[in-house]
Amino acid sequence: MRIVVCIKEVLDPDAVNNYALAGRLEIGEDGKTLTQTTIPQLMNGFDEQAIEAALRLRDAGADCTICVVSVGADPGNPLRHAAALGADEVAALTPPSSAPDSHAVASLLAGYIRSLGGAELVLCGRQASDDDQGVVPALVGEMLGMTVVTIARSVELGDGARLRITRVTPDGDEIVETDAPAVVTISNELGDPRYPTAANKLKARRVKPTVLTPEDLSLGADALAPRVVLTRQFVPTVQGNCEFIAGDTPAELADRLVARLREDKLLT
Amino acid sequence: MTTRSAVVCTWSGARGENLEETEAALTLARKTSAALGGNLHWLVVGSVPEEAPEIAQRHGVAALEHIEDPKLAGGQADAFVEALAQYCTAHTPKLVLFNQGFDIRLVAPRLAGRLGSGVVMNAVDIDVAPDGPLSVTASAYGGDTRVIYEITDAGTCIVSLLANAVTPERGEGAVRPTPEPVAVDLSEIEERVRVVEAAHTEGPRLEDAEIIVAGGRGLASPENYKLVEQLAEALGGLPGASRPLVDEGWVDSSRQVGLTGKITRPGLYLAAGISGASQHMAGCAAAKSIAAINTDPDAAIFRYARYGIVGDCLEILPELIRAAKQGS
Repeated sequence: MRIVVCIKEVLDPDAVNNYALAGRLEIGEDGKTLTQTTIPQLMNGFDEQAIEAALRLRDAGADCTICVVSVGADPGNPLRHAAALGADEVAALTPPSSAPDSHAVASLLAGYIRSLGGAELVLCGRQASDDDQGVVPALVGEMLGMTVVTIARSVELGDGARLRITRVTPDGDEIVETDAPAVVTISNELGDPRYPTAANKLKARRVKPTVLTPEDLSLGADALAPRVVLTRQFVPTVQGNCEFIAGDTPAELADRLVARLREDKLLT
Repeated sequence: MTTRSAVVCTWSGARGENLEETEAALTLARKTSAALGGNLHWLVVGSVPEEAPEIAQRHGVAALEHIEDPKLAGGQADAFVEALAQYCTAHTPKLVLFNQGFDIRLVAPRLAGRLGSGVVMNAVDIDVAPDGPLSVTASAYGGDTRVIYEITDAGTCIVSLLANAVTPERGEGAVRPTPEPVAVDLSEIEERVRVVEAAHTEGPRLEDAEIIVAGGRGLASPENYKLVEQLAEALGGLPGASRPLVDEGWVDSSRQVGLTGKITRPGLYLAAGISGASQHMAGCAAAKSIAAINTDPDAAIFRYARYGIVGDCLEILPELIRAAKQGS
């Protein structure tokens, strides 16, 4: 079977978050992008877990070809990382503009999967940690007429083309089955992704991703036309209004807080 | 037949739907439909809540529409996407607004893919420039930033509203609409995903809790989470956690509060050793009151908190448990 894993390179969300926590997150003069140039780019965490899900299927005995694909001008590093982990093919798709919308990204990914002759399983992270939108997997599924299963903590292969997927729902785990082909999105509950061995990392340094343009994928203007355009980004302000409880000992602080909460009828 | 410019769509079969969030969506969609110069419709898929006509009137809904089909009873994404695609193709609304929940997170973008139209999730506001496109403000970077997207697509825009983003505002409408059935043909639909083991919640849910005590990285080690559980029990509340604790495997993911966990709205949210990352605050910022314990007086959590203690939660929590048990 062929498994395609779609990955995205994002700004390190922990670094972004640390700037935000320190109140130092700033937007540049274009009004759209973060100015912190020291924030490193890395593979979206949920996407790393999507690669891990593919590798676990292989570990479990699935006879599979794993193709890892990314849309972006230079997603070389994450794709080499994927190759070091055991991807059989890595591909970089050239976007029509520097900031393609979800629809254009999905068109490129769907075009790539078509160019391979289809895939039994498409794995994606549940959402990218930059825009948090999480719509690309569903769009790819619709474009290819594939079923879509979201927020999975595990994907197993059953008899024949059957997939058994555990989803993390607000009410606990739900187990579903569907027949391949399917798009499945992976959530953090899958667990930690593995690291490549040093030897494989060295070997992967020579790997060159297959670069494909929209023309290579026979994508027309409508497939690439943006539906949604990011016009502005800003940092929301939070008005602090905290009453700090004073006290000399933990016991005193605790007593005073509980007393305040009872006074304000938040506790009985 | 009235012109639909904005349609709020609710689905009784979707997890997380509730009337308070429906009213928030109606509030936002009413503003949008007024700016677009059209009517606000409320499309109910599945069973119609008893209060729906009254709520519809309070939000100036021009028509309350209803799609009912045995194939739409709960969670069936294929049937839902097909039903909505037929509805949008027949009636071409400018905006379809959903309340974001577990199932909507899947079906809203699928509907956009089916229609080839623009979609924005995690929305917190919508603006309409005169004769301009819809501008949707959405949360990004786990809540650290907001982005404004223009939906340039000429067709139906699909927008999913984040829970707790809009305060419901009522304003009497002229009529109390009665549910009008809308016909869709789902005879061809055979659901491709089968549930073989349904989810079941054990015990009360964080989403419904009136008091939540949540622990974060400041707990320092997994065994200290029991302090959070003990305080929650002493206060008659439920224990929650920030995502690092779940990622580290200290607590089950059902305890996770935040953008990728539970969106809660308790009366009191007591955060112990939680820094206040936006990702986490997205799950608790709607609490009526937040009390926070953190060693760092500059921690972001204190910007959201009503009450704060600067100190080590490992020292404060045992004392809070004692104080809570002492009664008033």
